[in-house]
Amino acid sequence: MSAISIRNLSKTYPVPFRRVRAFFRRPAKEPVEALCDVSFEVGTGEIFGLIGRNGAGKTTLTKIIATLVQPTTGSVSVHEQDSVSHDEHVRRLIGLATAEERSFYWRLNSEQNLMFFARLHGLSDRSAKQRIKELFAQLELDEVARRRFGELSTGNKQRLAVARAMLASPPVLLLDEPTRSLDPLAAARMRELISSLARQDPPVTILLTSHNLAEVETLCARVAIISRGSIRAIDTPRNLRDLTSGKEMVHITIAGGEKISFARQHEDDLLDVKIRELQARGARIVDIETERPTLLDVLERYEQS
Amino acid sequence: MNSLKLLPRRIFAFVARDFRLFMSYRMQFFLRILSVLTVVTTLFFISKIFAGFTDPQFSQWRDPLGAWLTGLAVLNYFMTGFSSLANAIRQEQMQGTLESVLLTPINLPTIIVSSSAWDFLETTFFSFLYLFFGRVFFGVQFRGSFFLAVIFLLLTTVVLACLGILSASFAMVFKRGDPFGMFLGAGSALFSGVFFPTQLLKTYAGPKLGSISLLLPPTYGLQGIRQVLIEGHGLAQVTQPLFTLLGFLVVLLPFSLWVFARAVRRAKREGSLIQY
Repeated sequence: MSAISIRNLSKTYPVPFRRVRAFFRRPAKEPVEALCDVSFEVGTGEIFGLIGRNGAGKTTLTKIIATLVQPTTGSVSVHEQDSVSHDEHVRRLIGLATAEERSFYWRLNSEQNLMFFARLHGLSDRSAKQRIKELFAQLELDEVARRRFGELSTGNKQRLAVARAMLASPPVLLLDEPTRSLDPLAAARMRELISSLARQDPPVTILLTSHNLAEVETLCARVAIISRGSIRAIDTPRNLRDLTSGKEMVHITIAGGEKISFARQHEDDLLDVKIRELQARGARIVDIETERPTLLDVLERYEQS
Repeated sequence: MNSLKLLPRRIFAFVARDFRLFMSYRMQFFLRILSVLTVVTTLFFISKIFAGFTDPQFSQWRDPLGAWLTGLAVLNYFMTGFSSLANAIRQEQMQGTLESVLLTPINLPTIIVSSSAWDFLETTFFSFLYLFFGRVFFGVQFRGSFFLAVIFLLLTTVVLACLGILSASFAMVFKRGDPFGMFLGAGSALFSGVFFPTQLLKTYAGPKLGSISLLLPPTYGLQGIRQVLIEGHGLAQVTQPLFTLLGFLVVLLPFSLWVFARAVRRAKREGSLIQY
């Protein structure tokens, strides 16, 4: 069963009072088409990546799934609940963590902030306290539990946003750049947490939006490339790379500093042939490097096309 | 658990949040108490100028201090009634927290009503303080049924909350320049008889300007409350302002809810709910 199902979704932001402006012969902007006929499904327990340039439509798509914005046409359903007609129910099923720092109350401490949102989710004070304690331990926020939000470091603010998204243990998490402001160690732990959530029972489905392509490649089972409001490709990171170019560059360094570089098709036997040739001439191989196309190459290709 | 059962918990969540935010500015709290005391004391001395004033036409103003204090206490309440709903949205929009609140499984009307709950509690406290200081320090006598006065207060507040819903709808669509707030804010103090009898408006400003007070719900709320608290009237003698307020409610409640539903739909379509 798919956790998120998006069908023929389009969103055009209307220009407010366009007809009134036209009536008074005032210039009016054109409506902005943010999404155009987007369709895909995300399976339960899948970590699904969404990549694209700024303004490509990632945020609009996330906000439509989160019921904050209504689509112009098409539909989104989360665990078979429609995001427009059953918006309240959909909000019970999702948690959204963005990198927006202003989404908390700066004069309340971390615990008070989470307590407020837990009550809005309908958690009793007792279970809310218990859940907050668990999340603080899981996200290493114990030390800042009593510290005002305004006094937290950017990384801790970001972790608190993830904790808030996880408060009501939703089966679907929408994570927008969850490691952007974290130090390398904390970022690695966050990635570990994200993959463990998808593996747990019952599994959490994660829609990950990120500009960190290496992270997307490591975490995501499938990735969608979005450009100018349209989905250009959806596949596993590996297949996407292969779609761009099946070739990879191999650089062999042999003793004495000589370097041999050649291109080969992924998993063909050219590397074996070259190694045998070198061994036959008595050369000692010091290093072998392969240079594969990355998601960045894929992204660039779709942007240029 | 259904939304209705969770409503008290959600209202409590907003009240607890706002109380904590309020207490994070403790000095402001004490300064406001001091400011109420200063206003009451000043009005006491001004009222002494009118000592012995016995014009039977202005029976509610024989004790001007009592009339001013009820006027101010009630005006406070009325202002909260029509401004807090719109302010609730504006404040969350400005702080940037509206989006995260909207992501929780509650509907917009619940958010608006719950976010203004603290405003009403705070106003109740400060409105009561006007009457309390007047009674304790300056011997102002309040007669009549407090229960009936509270009914008037609640009824007028609900009528003004309908205008508040219109104001919130306006804030949602246009973001700024709320005409209801401007009209009622300035209008109530001048035309509703908070500081002087409304009859004087007709005498000095002419019948047209004087009749503006008849269009404002606070005029009837204040009239009723003063008739009860100052003149000691019972239910049978205050039916005119009571039924007028009910008339306002019957017209304004469905209209404001209809406008609000349209404003929410429009804001969601435009994606402008979280913009300010």
